Amino acid sequence: MNAGLVLDGLTTGGLFFIVTLGLLIVFGMMKLINFAHGAFLALGAYTCVLATSHGLPVWLPILLAPVVTGVVAAVVEPIVLRRLYGRPMDTLLATWGLNMIIIQLITLYFGRGTQPVKTVDLGAVDVFGTTYSLYRLLFIPVAVALGLSVALVLNKTRLGLVGRAVIMDENLAQISGINNTVVRFATFVFGSALAGLAGALLTPIASVDPNIGVPWLFAAFMISLLVGISPAALGVACVLLGMLQVLLASLWDPTIATLAVPVAVVLILRFFPQGFVKGARVS
Amino acid sequence: MSGRGRATTLVASAFAAVMACTVASCSSDAADDNSVLIAIPVGLTGANSVVAPGVVQASELAADQINADGGILGGRQVKLKIYDDQSGANGALKAFTAAVREDNVVGIVGMETTAARNAGQPIAAETNTPYVYTSGYEGKACAQNLFINGSTPEQSVNPLIAYIDENMGAKTWAIVASDYAYGRDTAAFFEQAVKDSGGEVVSTQFNPVDSGDWTSALQNIRSAEPDVVVSILAAGTPSVTLSKQWKQSGLAIPHVNLGMDEDTAKTIGADAAGVLYPSMYFTGNDSPENKEFMQALQDKFGDDAHIPNQMTVPQYVGVHLLAEAIDAAGSTDPAAVLAELPNVAFEGPSGPVQINKQHHAELNYYLGEVKQDGTTEVVADFGLVDPGEQCPELQSAP
Repeated sequence: MNAGLVLDGLTTGGLFFIVTLGLLIVFGMMKLINFAHGAFLALGAYTCVLATSHGLPVWLPILLAPVVTGVVAAVVEPIVLRRLYGRPMDTLLATWGLNMIIIQLITLYFGRGTQPVKTVDLGAVDVFGTTYSLYRLLFIPVAVALGLSVALVLNKTRLGLVGRAVIMDENLAQISGINNTVVRFATFVFGSALAGLAGALLTPIASVDPNIGVPWLFAAFMISLLVGISPAALGVACVLLGMLQVLLASLWDPTIATLAVPVAVVLILRFFPQGFVKGARVS
Repeated sequence: MSGRGRATTLVASAFAAVMACTVASCSSDAADDNSVLIAIPVGLTGANSVVAPGVVQASELAADQINADGGILGGRQVKLKIYDDQSGANGALKAFTAAVREDNVVGIVGMETTAARNAGQPIAAETNTPYVYTSGYEGKACAQNLFINGSTPEQSVNPLIAYIDENMGAKTWAIVASDYAYGRDTAAFFEQAVKDSGGEVVSTQFNPVDSGDWTSALQNIRSAEPDVVVSILAAGTPSVTLSKQWKQSGLAIPHVNLGMDEDTAKTIGADAAGVLYPSMYFTGNDSPENKEFMQALQDKFGDDAHIPNQMTVPQYVGVHLLAEAIDAAGSTDPAAVLAELPNVAFEGPSGPVQINKQHHAELNYYLGEVKQDGTTEVVADFGLVDPGEQCPELQSAP
């Protein structure tokens, strides 16, 4: 049972990570909390619905979802966000409006009910003395892979160098010849694509209805407050909060557990205003 | 007057006209065209959102049939207005306030969560507005204006436990329930009923109504190792998320889900295979009334028709019962309508229904099992079941 509890915590942390990474990248790069993140999660999930209802094999939509979401983001960024550059409050409102519009469009087309979607059926495996859902276990390697990829790109590639320059100081970056517009466009598309991927990964365990992204947007938002743009810091935060939520839910009460993330975030920020990041460096 | 001045005056008067129109309700929302307005509060958003579309369809079908048959009170049309109660107390307050205090509806027919009912009913009671509650619930809700054709635990739980004892020899039980009045009260009822039958409840857990995360609940069930698990959930989304996560977890324990319905089961599909659930209605019912009903649903909604279930059929029946009561009373006066409600009966897809047992109704109960393709097969017929002593102080003579 204890192994099961630990695995619950780790896999919950992995899922937090996958859902939050896209929001974090947009936050770090563009200093913008993208409230449309929940809608992009939903778009990813509904892409799976459409794809599997047309007979595509179940693993293909997982690759398709980030592409579709990325395309939507690519269309939306120049139309909605680019015009509001330099107006952070307005941009925030715009992403919130975008969230509402996308979700209402989904509701108009699909209805409010839950959508049937074919999902992978991996069953459970015996591991560490307990039987555990294989699908949930996969959240851990997927989260690690995503985190490593982002960290590698940020630290080891020219693209990442450009990104880190923009994060550190946009004006200096612009003066040294970096095209901020392109960087922000690419960031928004990439962050949204990650949201789409997360949405697709949620379909086997969540109800695919227009509100599928709502609880995750909330959790991702809270966790993002704690972390700069470091995937490593995000990883640590997600594992800790995942374990905390699971322990509270299993050993105390699930209703109390829903408070775990927000209360923990508030407490941590109270005593460590920088959150999990040492200084404001990208590490 | 200068050009600009005239334009301003025009705009101002147009604006004033629009404002006056809005205030005086120039829209056709109020029943100003001799129709009889009935409120349909339902969870368009929130936990019930998954089952709400079917509930609305069933209500509309009933109203259509009544109107096609010549309406009530000498040719007046029945008109429905749908209100979103957001599956909970806050939304119900808004919905009932609008329905009762602003729109002055003649009656209310609602498939709602207990939380919504508890919040809305006092508002309906203020004006003695007839409220027909159509959802299965935890029992013992009693009021002068409240009539219930939804099931009570005496009907859904007692025959079920007897069946499981007989056919599955279960000794230990685990309960997982939605954390609100219905979940808590029904879980308590269940625990007592299991104890009375000689079994033992080894684990009882509650999960927030709007929570889609059953990770810890499933972990605790796994360690409790019960012979059978009973879930007592709010209708709709909780069953979807629990079924999916149950499937992924690989648990192989028999699972009875009081919150499951035929429409949601079909949508979930294979992930719900093997789940058992009791219901007073299944689409396989062989009666002519049911066949007519299903055909009418198909004719009206075509491919968009939702599979009828124990949430939508009582709603359909409830609208018919209320309309008949208004007609029998000869007026929309609340006291007159309430006096007639115990007297009217309706022969519908779930059999004959009359709300004459202390404001509750006898219902025929069955047990269904979800198949691999999401359809439900009826595996047991419990016969006509009495709702039990719900409101002894509200004796309404049949």
